[in-house]
Amino acid sequence: MTDDITEPVEAKRVLIIGIAGGLAQITARLIAQERPDWKVIGVDSRQIKNCDNIKNLECFKIRYSRGNFEKLFREHEFDVVYHLARLSHSKYSGQDLNKRLELSVMGTNRILDLSLRFGVKKLVVLSTFHVYGALSNNTIFLKEDAPLKASMKYPELRDVVEMDQICTNWMWKYQDKMSTVVLRPCNIIGSQISNSMSQYLSSHLAIRPMDYNPVFQFIHEFDMANVLIRSADQLPTGIYNVSTNDFISLREALDVVGTKGIPFPISVADQMNKVLKMTKLDVPEYLIDYLKYSCLISNSHLKSHLGENFYRFKIDQALNLLRM
Amino acid sequence: MFDKISMKLSSEDKAHKDEVINKLRHRYANYRDPWGFNIETIGKALDLVYPIYKNYFKVRVFGKENVEDTPYILASNHSGQLMPLDGVMITTAFATEVQPPRVLHSMVDTFLAGFPFLGDLTAQTGSILGDRGNCTWLLDQGESVMVFPEGMNGITKNTNEFYEMRRFTNGFFRMALSRGTPILPISVVGAEEMYPFVFNAKKLGRKLGLPTLPLMSNYLPLPSPIDIYIGEPYEVPKDLSPDAPDKEIRKHVYNIEKLVKKNLAYGLKNRRPFFDTVRKPLKEMLFKSKIL
Repeated sequence: MTDDITEPVEAKRVLIIGIAGGLAQITARLIAQERPDWKVIGVDSRQIKNCDNIKNLECFKIRYSRGNFEKLFREHEFDVVYHLARLSHSKYSGQDLNKRLELSVMGTNRILDLSLRFGVKKLVVLSTFHVYGALSNNTIFLKEDAPLKASMKYPELRDVVEMDQICTNWMWKYQDKMSTVVLRPCNIIGSQISNSMSQYLSSHLAIRPMDYNPVFQFIHEFDMANVLIRSADQLPTGIYNVSTNDFISLREALDVVGTKGIPFPISVADQMNKVLKMTKLDVPEYLIDYLKYSCLISNSHLKSHLGENFYRFKIDQALNLLRM
Repeated sequence: MFDKISMKLSSEDKAHKDEVINKLRHRYANYRDPWGFNIETIGKALDLVYPIYKNYFKVRVFGKENVEDTPYILASNHSGQLMPLDGVMITTAFATEVQPPRVLHSMVDTFLAGFPFLGDLTAQTGSILGDRGNCTWLLDQGESVMVFPEGMNGITKNTNEFYEMRRFTNGFFRMALSRGTPILPISVVGAEEMYPFVFNAKKLGRKLGLPTLPLMSNYLPLPSPIDIYIGEPYEVPKDLSPDAPDKEIRKHVYNIEKLVKKNLAYGLKNRRPFFDTVRKPLKEMLFKSKIL
C-alpha cells in the first residue's frame, strides 16, 4: 500500500454505479448536501426507485455490458466513479453464482477498463470484509495485507474475492494513470439498506446462536456514505478496511436492537444445512460460519488519512437506529 | 470423612471469593476485548471452580510475592490430557490469591477456540486463540497472558513420561521481547496424577481428527493435591530484537525452561503424598468407627 497522498481531485462529474442500492442513494443524497457543485449520474441494471427527489442526480437503467454504458463514459468525462454494484451474495444457487460472477467479475473488469480509457481520475470500489473469511483461527484486527481466505473455504464467495483481487491488481498496474481506492467495510447497517445483516438483526425470527457468540463490527450506512465521499479527495490509491474502533458480541448486538430471536445451536444448524442441501433449501455454509467465528478488521490505515474520529455514529447508536 | 473433600466453602472462603469477584468487577468495569470477555461469566465460573480449587485439589500457591501489578507472560509446564485443568487452577490462583486479583488470558488451541459452547465459554472467561497478534494486543491493554510453551506435546504424555518436560517453543519469548514484558516461570506439581494411568493413542486420534486420544483409567480427575510455584520474573533483554535468530532466542528460552524445572524438582520433593486428601479422612473415619 502506498501512503503518499495524491493531489485532491476537483470532482465535478461523478458516476455512481449501482444507484438502485440503498447505500448508493444515501451517498447521492449526501453529495447533494455536501458537494452541491458535483454533477452526479447514477446507473443500475435493476429498476431504479426513490431517486427522483435527489438533487443533481440523473439516473439511467443500463446493463453494464451494453454500448450505452460506454457512451456514458465517453460523453460525460467522469472525474470520479463509484463502483457500488457488487451483487448481494445472500442467496445461493448455481444460477445466482453465474449471475454474480458475470456482474461482479466481468462487470467490474469492464468498469475498470472504461474508467482507464476515458480518463477517470478517481475510482472508488466497494468491496467487503467478507473477503478475509470467517475462520476459527482468524487473528484479530486483520490488516489490508492479510490473505483473502474466504474463497479457499467457500467457493460461493469466489466472485467477491475475485472482484476484489481484480481491482487491487488493476490499481497497482495503472496507479500512474488513475487513482483507485478499494474499500473493505465491515457490516454496514441501517434502515435504508436492505442487506442481509440489517435484515438479520431486526428480524424476530433471527437465529440467536446458543453455542457461539462471535464479535462483530458495524458501521452505520450514513458513516459509510461519508467515507465514500471522502474517498474521492482524501484517500490516496490503496486498500482500506472501513470499520469503527468499537466491537460488540452478536448476542449483545441483538439485545441492543431489541431482537429476541430464536435461540438455536449453530453447530446443529451446520448439520441440518447438510440435510437441507438435498432439498435445495440450504443456506450458504459461509453465512453460518459468520455467525460462529469473528472476522474483525483493523481501521488504522483509514484513520491515518481521515483522522481519529470521523464517524458520526458509535456502534450502539448505529444498532439503536435499526429499531426505528 | 466427606466434609474433608466437601465442595462447600467455609464462610471465610466464601467471603474471600465474593470480595475477589467484586475487586475483579471493579478492575474490569471498562475492559472489553474482541473475543467476548465477560466479567459476569468469570464471576459465575469462580463460583463453580473456587470450591474445587480449594477443597478438591486443595491448591497451594508459592511465590506470590514475586507478582506485581504489571503485565506478564506466564510460562508454565503443562499436563492434564483431555481436560488440562492446570490452566484453570493457575488462573484461579491469580484471581484469588495474588494481589491485586487479575484475570489471566490463556492462549488456547484452534481446536478448542472453534468448539461449540466451550469455545464461547473460554472466550468469555478470558482465553484467546494462540496467536502472536492476539497476545500482543492483550499486552498492550496491560493484561497478562498465560502460555504453555510445551504445546499439545505437554498434555499428551503417557504415565511413564509424567513430569518429563517437553522442549519449550520460542514464540512466547519473541512476544515478550516485542513488548519488553517480563516472563513469570510457573511450575505446577500434582496435575499429572489426576489421570494416573494413561496411554496416548495418537495415531488413532489423528485419524479421527482429534489432537489427542488418551486412553485412561479414569476420565474424571482424581483429587490429586496441586502446588503452584511462581518463580521470580525473568526480565527480557532490551537489546535483543524479537526477530533475532533462533540461536539467540534459544538460550533465554532454555533459561526459563531451567527455572520451571528447578521449581518442579523442588515441588516434587515437597509435595503432599498422592491421595492423602482422600486417604487420611478415610483412615480417621475407620479409626473412629473402630474398624481399624
